[in-house]
Amino acid sequence: MSQFLQPTILLLREGTDTSQGRAQIVSNINAVQAVADVVKSTLGPRGMDKMIQTGPKVTISNDGATILNLLEVVHPAARVLVDIAKSQDDEVGDGTTSTTLLAAELLKEAKPFIEEGIHPQIVIQGYRKALELALEKLEGFSINISRDSPQEKRDTLLKCAQTALNSKLLANTKQFFSELVVSAVEKLDPNILDRDLIGIKNVTGGSVTDSFLVDGVAFKKTFSYAGFEQQPKRFENPKICLLNLELELKSEKENAEIRIEKPEEYQQIVDAEWALIYEKLEIIVKAGAQIVLSKLPIGDLATQYFADRNIFCAGRVPQEDLLRVQKATGGQVQTTVNGLNPETFGTCGLFEEVQVGAERYNLFKNCPQSRTATIVLRGGAEQFIQEAERSLNDAIMIVRRCFKANKIVAGGGAIELELSRYLRHYARSVTGKTQYIVNSYAKALEVIPRTIAENAGLNSIEIMNKLRQRHAQGGEEGRWYGVDINGASGVCDTHSSFVWEPSLVKRNALCSATEAACAILSIDETVKNPKSDQDTKMKPKGQPGRPPMGMRR
Amino acid sequence: MSLAFDDYGRPYIILRDQGQKKRMKGLEAYKSNILAAKAVANTLSSSLGPKGMDKMLVSPDGDVSVTNDGATIVEKMEIQHPTAKLLVELSQSQDAEIGDGTTGVVVLAGKLLEQALTLLDKGIHPLKISDGFDRACDVAIKHLETISEEIDIQANEHEALIQAACTALGSKVVSKRKRELGKIAVTAVLDVADLARRDVNLDLIKIQTKTGGSVEDTRLISGILIDKDMSHPQMPKEVKEAKICLLTCPFEPPKPKTKHNINISSAEDYKKLYLQEQQYFVDMVKLVKDSGANIALCQWGFDDEANHLLLQNELPAVRWVSGTDVELIAMATGARIIPRFQEITPEKLGKAGSVKEVQFGTSNERMLVIENCQCTKAVTILIRGGSQMIVDEAKRSIHDAICVIRNLIKDNRIVYGGGSAELACAIQVLQYADEVSSVEQYAIRSFADALEGIPCCLADNCGLNPITSVAQAKARQLQESNPRIGIDCMELGTTDMKEQRIYETLSSKKQQIQLATQVVKMILKIDDVIAPDDY
Repeated sequence: MSQFLQPTILLLREGTDTSQGRAQIVSNINAVQAVADVVKSTLGPRGMDKMIQTGPKVTISNDGATILNLLEVVHPAARVLVDIAKSQDDEVGDGTTSTTLLAAELLKEAKPFIEEGIHPQIVIQGYRKALELALEKLEGFSINISRDSPQEKRDTLLKCAQTALNSKLLANTKQFFSELVVSAVEKLDPNILDRDLIGIKNVTGGSVTDSFLVDGVAFKKTFSYAGFEQQPKRFENPKICLLNLELELKSEKENAEIRIEKPEEYQQIVDAEWALIYEKLEIIVKAGAQIVLSKLPIGDLATQYFADRNIFCAGRVPQEDLLRVQKATGGQVQTTVNGLNPETFGTCGLFEEVQVGAERYNLFKNCPQSRTATIVLRGGAEQFIQEAERSLNDAIMIVRRCFKANKIVAGGGAIELELSRYLRHYARSVTGKTQYIVNSYAKALEVIPRTIAENAGLNSIEIMNKLRQRHAQGGEEGRWYGVDINGASGVCDTHSSFVWEPSLVKRNALCSATEAACAILSIDETVKNPKSDQDTKMKPKGQPGRPPMGMRR
Repeated sequence: MSLAFDDYGRPYIILRDQGQKKRMKGLEAYKSNILAAKAVANTLSSSLGPKGMDKMLVSPDGDVSVTNDGATIVEKMEIQHPTAKLLVELSQSQDAEIGDGTTGVVVLAGKLLEQALTLLDKGIHPLKISDGFDRACDVAIKHLETISEEIDIQANEHEALIQAACTALGSKVVSKRKRELGKIAVTAVLDVADLARRDVNLDLIKIQTKTGGSVEDTRLISGILIDKDMSHPQMPKEVKEAKICLLTCPFEPPKPKTKHNINISSAEDYKKLYLQEQQYFVDMVKLVKDSGANIALCQWGFDDEANHLLLQNELPAVRWVSGTDVELIAMATGARIIPRFQEITPEKLGKAGSVKEVQFGTSNERMLVIENCQCTKAVTILIRGGSQMIVDEAKRSIHDAICVIRNLIKDNRIVYGGGSAELACAIQVLQYADEVSSVEQYAIRSFADALEGIPCCLADNCGLNPITSVAQAKARQLQESNPRIGIDCMELGTTDMKEQRIYETLSSKKQQIQLATQVVKMILKIDDVIAPDDY
């Protein structure tokens, strides 16, 4: 009996939570399901929004990555989902919800295998194989649009932007916004397509359709000193001087100290300081600048000096705005005025200060080498504009991707169904356990059309039957059938109804969802260390700060 | 809140502080959101219209404000609920964009939500409802444009503008003097307006308040009023044909900005320094005097010594004038702001007819009035009233009126008020509903009902029977196909709003309908609320 009395060996710190084995995998899968369920209802054109309150801040969003981020998921396995949504967001910008759903569905399909005792690695292998086949097929199915004329290409971009906006708050004005987004992206340098060069400015008030695109830069009026209002507010073809320099009467060096021996010297020092600032201002004026922008403050003295000479100035211009002005006007930011060369000045067709809502905005329009654009968003409430900004962001990313990749597939669940059909077909030709697993992968892909149909309040089983039947007929005409939320039959050819998505989005979604699913499946043990500050945190909760209510009176 | 349970019924810990979070889903979420938003709208509905009532709001510090302005009420209510906050922002964005109609927009949103709730109960998908609202909104906006009329803002001494201002002021506490105040507002805006560009910079209209007197004493100063007095009591109280020197440097010996100290080793040096400082003052005053200026306004302070010298040299001066005032004065008098004494030249001086110190009532407070400026580009409205609350409310009301006039200068199309425009739109939307074959027609019809809610609310607030009067007005609109029939709130005996001259700007009405629809759509799209438990 002595072996039962052996002392337990303490390997881990007290309070450490360990769980392992098959049960652990199943438990992880369940946790992932729960998180995916939260974002499930946001998918598709009839997807709903979530309102999440964190502290005093309220966010209303339809974007999968935003929602998952705000949920503050702490479960280790479920965090994987948050991470893939984020990586999808960073990589392609759209399709975050579908990636999350797909990963969760893959796991759900894997669960029975795990419970039945199939080794997780076999499932993983099967999934990897299926992914490989699906990607290959995706490449084959995607439609190349690169050889089309510019007008047709623009049309394609518009369609893709509209598909991205379909599920968002802006769905009803998607035509308007897709134009806006595509025009903005077209402004960029086609080789780089730097996202940072599209500025989005939010101004509350007005209707969403009052939003407008500035082919150049727009930024809010900066803090101004007395004398600003006396400056001219409109220029045609101005010379714009960009500075990273403080134009203020102040000490040259922070810790410098002067010793003055004679009272006469005193005036000299004062004069010298004035001379310094005046010298700088004079150089700028002599060089012929008409608009002076600086990242650092422009003081009241300089403001008035410029006002006297009909020059417009703005200090404390935010870094990214100054950068955009630089790109748009072709100027260069100077850190000193010594040797200021008029060649470093930028120019634009028209500069104007205008009232937008309650704010005044500086607009630089018709820039000669405009490689930048600014979208000024209007809307009724702060949250509304924020969500609109997120949606536009998605659309911009999609259009950018489309610009580069030139390959599209039809949305509305059509491509998923087609891939699913192909995988099922393939599964029949293999022997061994892989057959089941590839089949499950095919089934998991169907989650996208099914959820779109469910969210739209359609009978998902009926729709799925119709779609499967269409796709099973094979050939060209059945390939692009997807969910139609408006029509009576519930299915339509989404390619001919212009629900288009870049194939890159799907590619990335499939890859990251499969990777995530495989990662979770391969975890068979979690060791969770207790929080080091757990004790100190728990204590104040145990002792209520106020006396019990009954004691009063 | 827990999202999932394992096989033993224990909850998974998936979210941080999951125990302290609450989640509402589906129908429960819609209903709770709608109810919260409706509660805000109901609070405001009694403030709508010429006979709308005021609200008294007490801030946490005990400050009391009484107001009828929708944006101010919701702002001071300090609403916590996230959905209700959306309505607050709705009202504020109407305020930012248009400045007027802040109550109307919230009431309309409330009515729309009320309708949405009944539709939800019928089992219509929320997105179908919002689609329907959206389509109805488009129809209403189009119809508003067809019934709008262009007015000539110049004609008859800007009579139309004054009428529009009166409509805006009609619902406020100052409604008794609306004509006078309306005139003041119109003159003020026209003075600063850039009619060619149709742009009005409201920063150039300064609204100064002073308790005491009555609202009738409110007046427009075609110039600047600053809350300052002459630096020395013996200086002249009035300067005619003033030549103003605007200084942004102090009447002090100049100081280098670099850290410095002066080493004085002998008594002579000390004396020399003293004398030099004295000389500075003399030079400064001389420079100002030589330029021909007869009054100096300074952004900074001055030494007592300098003050004394200024008095001796008969140069009235004002100290500590704020930066914004300096700017406004410069704009109005055509002065240039002078950063140091060496740069004073006669051309840089501003000219004004008179600079006068005025005293109010028996109190010892004085203000400076700069009038008949060379180029009047900035004006001041001095608001008087019996108590701080009245003055504050009058200020808000005049702000509304100014905004209305500005909007008319931007876009001179008007619609008629008194609920007539809403009724006309409602009739149009109803007609459109019959042409729609899908489920949306229910939503479109409800949109029309919500629009009718505005005249209903107006009539209710005026003590009329809401249903009878709205029904009568609607019937007459249909019979006579006259979109100007509204609710006779003032009991003038006619329901034709053109005769009553109730003008509202088209832009304001359009904005109200669009913004309200937008926010309602947003609320209807939320099916899941995750919030801390005390929500």
